[in-house]
Amino acid sequence: MKIVALMKQVPGTSDVAIDPERGTLRREGVAVKTNPYDLHALEAALDVRDKLTDGSTVSVVSMGPPQAEAVIRESYWMGADGGALMTDRAFAGADTLATAFALSQALKKQGFDLIVAGMQSTDGDTAQVGPGVAEFLGIPHVSYVRSIDAVRPDRIEVTADLGDRYLSQEVQLPCLITVTKDINQPRLPSFRKRKETAGRAVDIVKAADLPPSDEQHLGLAGSPTRVEKIFPPKRERVREVWEGPSVELAGRLATLLKEVLEP
Amino acid sequence: MSEAANLDRKAWKGVMVFAESHEGRFEPVTFELIGKARELADKTGQDVICVAVGHPLSDITGDLLHYPVDRVLAYDAPEFQHFVAGVYAAALEDAVLLERPSVVLIGATPVGRSLAPRVAVRFRTGLTADCTVLDIRPNGDLVQTRPAFGGNIMATIVTRNARPQMATVRHKVMPRAERLEAPRGALLPKSIAAPQALAGFTRHLAAVRVKSETSLPKAESISDAKVIVACGRGIRAKEDLQMFEELADRLGGVLAGSRPLVEKGWLPAARQVGQSGRTVRPDLYIACGISGAIQHVAGMSGSTTVVAINQDKDAPIFETANYALVGDMYEIVGELLKTGGA
Amino acid sequence: MVLKMSAGGFARCTAKDLDELRGICGDDAVIAGGPLLEDYTHDEMVAVRSYPDGVVFPKDTEQVSRVMQFASSRHIAVTPRGAGTGLCGGAVPVEGGIVLCLSRMSAILEIDRENLTATVESGVMLMSIHQAVEAQGFLYAPDPGEKTATIGGNVNTNAGGMRAIKYGVTRDNIRGLEVVMPSGEVLEMGGKHAKNSTGYSLMSSFIGSEGTLGIVTRATLKLFPLPRQTLSLLVPFNSLGDAIRTVPRILATGILPQSIEFAEKGVIEASERYLGKRFPHASAPSYLLLRVDGNSPAEVSSAMDLVGDACLTAGAVDVLIADSPERQSAIWDGRAAFLAALKSGNEVDECDVVLPRNRIAELVEYTKEVSVAVGVRIESFGHAGDGNLHIYVLRDGMSTGDWERKLPKAMDLLYEKGDALGGLVSGEHGIGLAKRKYMARNLSAGELALMLRLKKTFDPEGILNPGKVVLESS
Repeated sequence: MKIVALMKQVPGTSDVAIDPERGTLRREGVAVKTNPYDLHALEAALDVRDKLTDGSTVSVVSMGPPQAEAVIRESYWMGADGGALMTDRAFAGADTLATAFALSQALKKQGFDLIVAGMQSTDGDTAQVGPGVAEFLGIPHVSYVRSIDAVRPDRIEVTADLGDRYLSQEVQLPCLITVTKDINQPRLPSFRKRKETAGRAVDIVKAADLPPSDEQHLGLAGSPTRVEKIFPPKRERVREVWEGPSVELAGRLATLLKEVLEP
Repeated sequence: MSEAANLDRKAWKGVMVFAESHEGRFEPVTFELIGKARELADKTGQDVICVAVGHPLSDITGDLLHYPVDRVLAYDAPEFQHFVAGVYAAALEDAVLLERPSVVLIGATPVGRSLAPRVAVRFRTGLTADCTVLDIRPNGDLVQTRPAFGGNIMATIVTRNARPQMATVRHKVMPRAERLEAPRGALLPKSIAAPQALAGFTRHLAAVRVKSETSLPKAESISDAKVIVACGRGIRAKEDLQMFEELADRLGGVLAGSRPLVEKGWLPAARQVGQSGRTVRPDLYIACGISGAIQHVAGMSGSTTVVAINQDKDAPIFETANYALVGDMYEIVGELLKTGGA
Repeated sequence: MVLKMSAGGFARCTAKDLDELRGICGDDAVIAGGPLLEDYTHDEMVAVRSYPDGVVFPKDTEQVSRVMQFASSRHIAVTPRGAGTGLCGGAVPVEGGIVLCLSRMSAILEIDRENLTATVESGVMLMSIHQAVEAQGFLYAPDPGEKTATIGGNVNTNAGGMRAIKYGVTRDNIRGLEVVMPSGEVLEMGGKHAKNSTGYSLMSSFIGSEGTLGIVTRATLKLFPLPRQTLSLLVPFNSLGDAIRTVPRILATGILPQSIEFAEKGVIEASERYLGKRFPHASAPSYLLLRVDGNSPAEVSSAMDLVGDACLTAGAVDVLIADSPERQSAIWDGRAAFLAALKSGNEVDECDVVLPRNRIAELVEYTKEVSVAVGVRIESFGHAGDGNLHIYVLRDGMSTGDWERKLPKAMDLLYEKGDALGGLVSGEHGIGLAKRKYMARNLSAGELALMLRLKKTFDPEGILNPGKVVLESS
């Protein structure tokens, strides 16, 4: 089985600064890391491969600047068999639609049976790229998978966490799933594997390497959404002191509870 | 993208709301979306169209007409009983093809966040996640504001050259539409008709089989609980915990406590907030008779909303509380339970 | 009728005495009854409890001094207390009298960027110190697990913690102390000096004295520049012996890690159950947990290369890398919960021996023999880098009779073996009440006699924390 994990490099902390003059994010000098959710995706992919013991492979696909190669390297240290980094100026500035499109094209080229992605990234928090990739590829997807219950040659069984309920479903391969943090505890990168894979290549994918398509909608040019401005949020911390007879306080509390909780 | 820079804005009209339902009940965010949709539609002279997908819907779709909508399209068929993203996406795609709305609003629930991106891709259009503020320009452009980086920055986003403009919105960020006495608008039963939507529907139906759906039991672990009622030294007797547990039950939460209660053996150690590792981050934390020792506060200060009830108005817990109720916890909670306020 | 004298011959507080204390510290600064008083009857070693007559909360050194003058004049016992997180009963007022709680003296007075010191009142919590100095780019190095302990408590037990191997224990990180003597006299010792050969080191006598020699009211702490990067390694081994034998080989690389801890499978699994969270790796019998620090990613990365190779050469199964904050927390949150996990829903007693670091494996192996011989569960973990073991004997629902019979038997055997291996009774928790007996067997008669003379010199009336550390009869 060809298993592919989609992974992304994100800023190391969510304490990001805004350049007040340009109204853009300050990315220079900011430490980076692999999107934590994607580590769960990779773990799930490795786990499926290791249980199959039939020569199945896990490869990783990432899109980002050249330094995002670190994500692929790290996945080798965790046990991935191969990896490709999509890096090209033509991919830059992509929103979730253009990102999903570009990834889907690379996936078409390399082939896949099962695609695993994190439920969202910690920088964008959109949860849109995974399902978008599935739609571009014309395959089914399940978001928020919390367990993979069975893997068969032609289908998998997964349970999704829909917040108030679990939904178990059997999905034909090829398909895409996005996983929550509950699905597993990602293994740590291995120093031993790091030494073993030091010479292993990372495939670099450029826009020109993608299959020819009449939909060359990559990067900023292929993104229907435009960020008009970014700004720091107003932080308003409510701090009220209520005094008075208990009956009155209970009444006010009842109103507050209605506001805070679901109707 | 549907069209390039020369987008014909007039060809796309109406504000569409995806009305998510589960087991005979619409998700509460639906009514918040309807309220916002009405406001946007009124500013630009458009209709509000609700799209309900599910099964069975016949008992509940009528209720949508008591909210300020112009039309309700109801896709009610056994295939929609459980949420399957590709199958639901086909229904919403069909509705969009039929109505050609300018705006589509979807709740940012697990279902909405799984469904919306598929539909956006089908129309090669923009989708903005988790909007907290929505406004509309006279030319019909939707101005979408959303948080990113875990809420550390806000971004304002527009989709200028593609339609429909799609956005997901979280529950509880927008006010709920008022229920109207008299129904308005039309209820239109629909089945998927557009050939391209029907093709997707058939394909996904064949590829996915739902095996089971289980409601989640109430969170037993305090680490997972969305609502925590926590008691402290203010509790006079073990039996008194019952009324606070009752409050926790009614709010769909769990009972927890500070260290003195655990030491007395009135609560199990797993219910203690604040010792190493026992950190909680519920949406709502109600601290009853807890003084607020730093060991305790360190374990709960990440809660979204903190309500504290304490007789001592100098209690340190009040420094962490959003709402500091100075009074008798027994009287206040007793009254709350008696009047059904919780 | 309330007895006028305690068992040890100290006066009990009368209503008039309590009024006197209110006069010194204020009406809101004395607790003499009500449900709150119960909190001051014990520390974290909850097996021993005793009620004080009153708890006073002085706001400054002057009030402490006046309380001491008054207590001396009335011959009332005074037990100083910080956050009550001690593990040996050190803060239990066994002779009643006054508990002098320093929690309201919690100001961080100064962070001196030029001399790299922080001056703090003794009631400030360790976590507040860490937060305040780290915000300014400094490190206060001692890092015991209990972050809500006060610095006064840390000074009085000479707390160690996980960074001791590189940065030393509390004693190594104190530059100056202000101490109130039983007579009320205030002494200031040391200061901001990096060196000091000026006479006897009186300051050192107070560090680790558990409140029996004076009341620490203020401390000047040594700060380090905060390392900008840390990286942790989780190293699985096939046996504890393999793990422990690897420690000197790690140190031989020339890299001095911040922390080298060891853990066995059983404790890791207990913490997984307690936290409801999986540890990143739990299939090996034994582990070393390491953290290295440095100022650049390249620096910690090259440290990792050296340490990693040393571990593999020494027979480690693998070396697992925790570079991101999430990965590091997955290891260290688990480590931080070891004690809570063992204590959760159980009664435990602990042994905190410190050995030459190459003898740890022998004692841990011996705990398994004791467990079988006595018929009681024993778990252990601790600081492989500095030879400090934490051994826990667990009750597991045993009847009171069995527990009271088996526990001392197990403890006697463990301390005996520790002694034979060249160990000391306490590495970092102190003696308090619980370990006086074992200390008496562990130290020489000459040392014990000198300790007793020291106590008499500093506290001639014996009113300071009576019944702790040293015994008249010993």
